[in-house]
Amino acid sequence: MSGKRGEEAMIEVEGLSKSFWVHQKAPGLMGSIRSLVRREKIEKRALQSISFRVQEGEVVGLVGANGAGKTTLVKILAGIVHPSDGDARVLGYRPWQRDDRLRRRMALIMGQKAQLWWDLPAADGFLLLREIYQVPKERFEESLERLVALLGVEDQLQVQVRRLSLGERMKMELIAALLHSPKVVYLDEPTIGLDLGAQRAIREFILAYQQTDRPAMLVTSHYMEDIERLCERILILRQGRLVYDGSRRQVTERFARYKLIKVLLRKPAEADDLAYVDTIGRRLAHSEDQIQLEVERNQVASVASALMARLSVVDLAIEEEPLGHIVERLQRAQQEEENEQMLFDVGMQSGIS
Amino acid sequence: MTRGVMRYIRLYGSFLRFSFSKAMEFRLDFYFRVVMDMVFYAVHLLFFTIIYDHTSMLGGWTLDQIYVFVCGAMLVDALHMTIFANNLWWLPIYINRGDLDYYLVRPVSSLFFLSVREFAANSFLNLIAASALVVWALGRHGGLDPVGILVYLLFLVAGTFIHYLVRITFIIPVFWLHSNRGLDEMAWTLHRLSERPHQIYPGPLRWILLSVLPLAFTVSYPAHVLFGGLTWQAVAHLLTVVAGLFLFVVWFWNLALKAYSSASS
Repeated sequence: MSGKRGEEAMIEVEGLSKSFWVHQKAPGLMGSIRSLVRREKIEKRALQSISFRVQEGEVVGLVGANGAGKTTLVKILAGIVHPSDGDARVLGYRPWQRDDRLRRRMALIMGQKAQLWWDLPAADGFLLLREIYQVPKERFEESLERLVALLGVEDQLQVQVRRLSLGERMKMELIAALLHSPKVVYLDEPTIGLDLGAQRAIREFILAYQQTDRPAMLVTSHYMEDIERLCERILILRQGRLVYDGSRRQVTERFARYKLIKVLLRKPAEADDLAYVDTIGRRLAHSEDQIQLEVERNQVASVASALMARLSVVDLAIEEEPLGHIVERLQRAQQEEENEQMLFDVGMQSGIS
Repeated sequence: MTRGVMRYIRLYGSFLRFSFSKAMEFRLDFYFRVVMDMVFYAVHLLFFTIIYDHTSMLGGWTLDQIYVFVCGAMLVDALHMTIFANNLWWLPIYINRGDLDYYLVRPVSSLFFLSVREFAANSFLNLIAASALVVWALGRHGGLDPVGILVYLLFLVAGTFIHYLVRITFIIPVFWLHSNRGLDEMAWTLHRLSERPHQIYPGPLRWILLSVLPLAFTVSYPAHVLFGGLTWQAVAHLLTVVAGLFLFVVWFWNLALKAYSSASS
C-alpha cells in the first residue's frame, strides 16, 4: 500500500475490522451476583473487513443506520481507536500510531462533541490551536480571515463560546478544525441539531472549502440532504459491512425499487378514496389535499392513471425514491434476512420446517 | 530534541495565558479557594504543634525541622494544585465520557496536553502563601547553608512531579475499569503516608516508599537531605526514581490508549 500506483490515494483502507467485547449480565440482583463470578462476554463486530480508497479532493459520504459502524470507522481513521485487524494508511501513515506529521495535516469535526473551550471566546481558542498546530502567524491570520468571512461570523469571534447559538458554535468548530489547512478532513454529523438555514450555510461552506483546498473528505450524516448535496460518491455501511461503494446517482439506479407519486387534490380526500389508494400503493403521508404514495417502479404508469381516474387531481408529480429511503430499506433488508434465518433455525430445531 | 522541548515550553506558555484569562471569569471561586487552603495549612501546622507538646522528637525530627517539613508539604501541595490537580480531576470523566477524542487527534503528546493544559490560576495565591510559609520555616530553623536550601527546593519540585506521576498511575486504570472511586480513595490514603516523615515507618514499608511507590520523595526525602547533608547517592536515587516512574507512566498511558473505546456520540 504505497504511492506507486500512479494516482496516490490519501486514504487507503484494507480489510479493516474492529470488534468490541461487551459484557452481558442477566437482569436483576441474581444476575448481578452471578456476573461477579462469571461474566458472559460477547463479541460485537463494529466493522468487518472494510476496504476502500479516497483520492485528493474527493468528498465521500458515509451512510448507514445507527450502529452501522460509521463513527467507529471515522475514529479509527482519525487515530483515536485502534483497529482489531486489517490496515489503513492516511497520507501514508497508520493513523493509530499518531505520528505528528499526520496529525498536523488532518482534522476531525464531530457535531456532537465540542472542541472549543466553552468559557472563552472562539478567538482565544483559535490562538491556542495556532500554537498547537504551529501555524505561522501570517498564514494563520490569512486563513482565519478567509474562513470567518466565508461563514459570516465576524461579529461573534469575541463572544464566549457558550453564549453562541448552536449554529454559530458549529461554524466556529469548523473554523477551528480547518485553521491549519488539513489535507484530510473527517466530518461526523456536522449539521446535527441545526436549523435548515444553518445546515445550508455549513454545507455551502464545506463545498467552498473543498473547491479551494481540495482535501480528501469523509462525511457522515443522518440528513440525506447533506450527503446528496456534498458527496458524489457514497459508502453504505450495514452492520459493520461495506455493502456499497460507488457513485451516489447509481445507488438510485441499482437499488431503487419504488418511485414516489405526489398528488395534489382539488378537495380533501374521502375515507373510501384513501382506502382505495392504500390498495394500489404504500401511503407515506397525506394532508388535507395532498397524498404521497410509494409505488413499485414498474407500476408507476398504471397507478398514476388509476389515481387520475378516481380522484380529482390538480397536480401529479413522479419522483425517484429519496436516497434516505433506499438506505433505510437496505438496512431493513438485512434485518429481515436475519429474522428469516432465525425462523428457519427455530423451525429446524422443532422439526416443523 | 531541543526544538521539541522549546516547542513544549512555548505551548505551556499558551496554556498559562489561556488559564489566566479563564480564571478571571470566576472571581468568587478564586477567593473561596484561598480561604479553604489557608484553613488547610493551619490545621496541618496545628497538628504537629500539638504532637510536639507531648514529645520533643519524632522519628529523629525536632519541631523546627518538622515545621520545615510541613511547610515543604504545603508547597508541594500548592504546586500540584496549581499545575496538575485540575487536569487530573477531569481526566477520569473525560475517559468515561469519551471526551479524549479531540486530544488524541492533536499533534501534541496527549499525556502532556491532558496533564498540564489547565493551569489553576485560582490557586496561584496559595502558591505564594505556601512559599512564604517555607521561607518562614527555614528562617525559624536558621543555620542552613544556602546551597542546601536551593537543593531542597529543587527536590521539592521533583517531589511534586513524583506526586503527579503516582496520582496518574492510579487514574489510568479507569480506561479498563470505567470507575475510579476505589482507586481514588486508595490514592488519597496512600498520599497521607507522604505527609509524615518516612523515618517513622517500619523497614519494609519505608523501602516501598523509597522505591516502587516513591511517596517518600515528595516531601520527606528532600527534608531528610536538607538536614542530613547532600550526597551523590541521594541525587542518583532521586533521578532514578523520577526517570523510572516517568517511563512507566508513559508506557502505561500508551497501553491504556489502545484500550480506549471512545464512548460513541
